[in-house]
Parts: sequence; structure tokens; C-alpha cells
Amino acid sequence: MAGGMDLGTGGKGGKKPLDMAINLVPFIDLMAVTIVFLIMTAVWTQLGRLQVSNSGQNASEEQQQQEQKLQPITLLVTEKEIKITVGGSQLDPLPITRDDKERIDVIKLVDKLKELKTQQPDQAAITLQTEDAVKYEDLVRLIDTCIGSQFPSVSVSPASQG
Amino acid sequence: MGIQPPGKRYGKRLAHSKIFGHGLAGHKATNADLNVTPLVDMFVILVLFLIANFSATGEILAMNKDIQLPEASNTDELQLAPAVAISKDEVLLSGMLIGRVDDLTREDYLNIPALEEKLRDLKKQFEDLHNAAGDQGGFKGDVNIQADKKVTFKIVKRVMFSCASAGYGNIAFATLMQGGGEKDKKPESASR
Repeated sequence: MAGGMDLGTGGKGGKKPLDMAINLVPFIDLMAVTIVFLIMTAVWTQLGRLQVSNSGQNASEEQQQQEQKLQPITLLVTEKEIKITVGGSQLDPLPITRDDKERIDVIKLVDKLKELKTQQPDQAAITLQTEDAVKYEDLVRLIDTCIGSQFPSVSVSPASQG
Repeated sequence: MGIQPPGKRYGKRLAHSKIFGHGLAGHKATNADLNVTPLVDMFVILVLFLIANFSATGEILAMNKDIQLPEASNTDELQLAPAVAISKDEVLLSGMLIGRVDDLTREDYLNIPALEEKLRDLKKQFEDLHNAAGDQGGFKGDVNIQADKKVTFKIVKRVMFSCASAGYGNIAFATLMQGGGEKDKKPESASR
């Protein structure tokens, strides 16, 4: 006998069967309990966050000094267009167009932001001056676009303040 | 006719009867084994899928059926913090009603006094709790804004201003994560 298994070399008596069945019942019990626990604690919606700020807040003195050397970039967001201001000069406004899902088409904005990033590679801050009538969905899309275009420090302020 | 062993002998008609005839000898096993292998396979796949999607932090924001969150791809992981929910009809702070959107839209103030007061209370509770435990400087001022995608910036602006006035300056907009964003490839954070 090796490991409790009959190798067929034994005596004349009744041979034990060679095939052994593992008792799967405890394993199935464990699986069932685990599945119930995991389903109960599962998070079905994947949520993320976009962090926004007011201009200059929480920035260290060193960062503020560095930002002063760079030309600030501001996007004035209205319902119909986006006006980009770099330093004191205003660029051509980008008219807001929408896709079939009614989302803002950001291709032109992305191109413009990439261009600005190449001009000022150290610039990480951007300010969105938003009008009251702008929808939250559009604001989030623009913030998302700015972060995706390597401007991670996004500030949001009302348009009237600017 | 050959030699038969002694015993009962039944006629032709009953020869194959299970009760009387040869059927008596051919017993079928009464215990039938159920093949559980496919079941175990399915369980294993299900467990692996659920473990892959398992979130140790749990559900940070309670999803409200009146709030349809916008989608974003360059997002960070949501932190546990007080949540201000803005639906099309009302503004809530951690489930408590703060005001109705129609009323808040009509007013021209920049802040929402009720929200500011509630947030100050929350901040005080947090600080008292941490002071009692001897933990200094634990307050980061994090707050999550969970707004419906159709809400106008006028309301969001008032909520943001109220949060900042109450000391909650670390404002984060809650969004639904869009798969395959650039942030997934290269993590970065949007900071003040």
C-alpha cells in the first residue's frame, strides 16, 4: 500500500477501488459563503474624484513664486464658447460644439491646451471662470480635459470674479 | 433443459420481473452521485471575479437615484469625507436636507448659511473627537460634492463657497469613472 491506495500487489482479498473521490461538500460550502459575502460587500459603481480649488489656496510660497514667473492660463466658460486668456492676452474664443450624447466636444480645446503646455511646460495651474448657467456636467468635462492635458492644478471660480 | 440450482423457479412470464424473476439479481444502486465539478468551476470563477472587483474601502458615497453623476476619466480614488449631494430638487449634507434648489437659485447670496452651519458643526465634532484622542492636525478639510449632471454652476458655486467658508477647502467633485483614462496610465493629482 502506498499512501492508502491499493496498488494491486496485495493478497487475494477484495481489492479496493483505485479511483478516489475527494469530498467536495465542505469546499462548496466555503465557496457559497464566500460568494454571498463578496456579493454583499461588492461596490458596483466605480466612483472617482476631481479635486478643484480656489486660486492660490493651499499653495506653498515657493509654488506661488514659481507661478508668478509663469503666465497664468484662464478659461472663461460660457454656455456658447470658451475664452482662453494667457497672461494678459486673450486668444480666439472656442465655440462650444456638442456630440450626439450632448457632451462638449473638446478636441479643439485639447489641441490648444497642448500648445499652451509646450509653451509653458512648468505651468501646472489653470483657472476655470464659469458662468452661472453652465451645467455641472460641462464643468466636470472641462476640468477632466484640463487634468488630462497635464494641468493638474485646476481652480474653479465664478465668471463675475474674474 | 439444463440443471438448475435449487430454489424457486418462476414461469416465463415472470422470468424478467424485478420482483420475482432475474430482475431481482440486477439491483441498481440507490445512491446516485451528482456531478458537482461544473458547479465548483462556476463557483471558483465567480469568487475570482468578485475578489478582483472587491473594494476594501466599501461604498464611500451613497448613490441617490435622483442624482446622475457626470463621467470623467482623469480621476483619483474617492476619499471618505462629508458628502454634499445636489440633486435637481434639493441639497443634502450626509442625507440631511439643507435646502431646495429652486429656493437657492432665487437667492442672490454667495453662501448657503444652513450648509455652512452644519459643516462647521461637523468640523467641530471632528476636532473635538480628535483632540480627545490626542490627535492633532488630523483635519484636512476634505469634502465631496455629489451633484447631478444637469445642475447649474450657480448652485455648485454656492455649495463650494459655503464649504470653503466652513473650513472645508479640499473640494472634490464625485464622478463616475470612465474606463481607460489617461490617469489610469499615469497617476497625478489635481491640487490646490
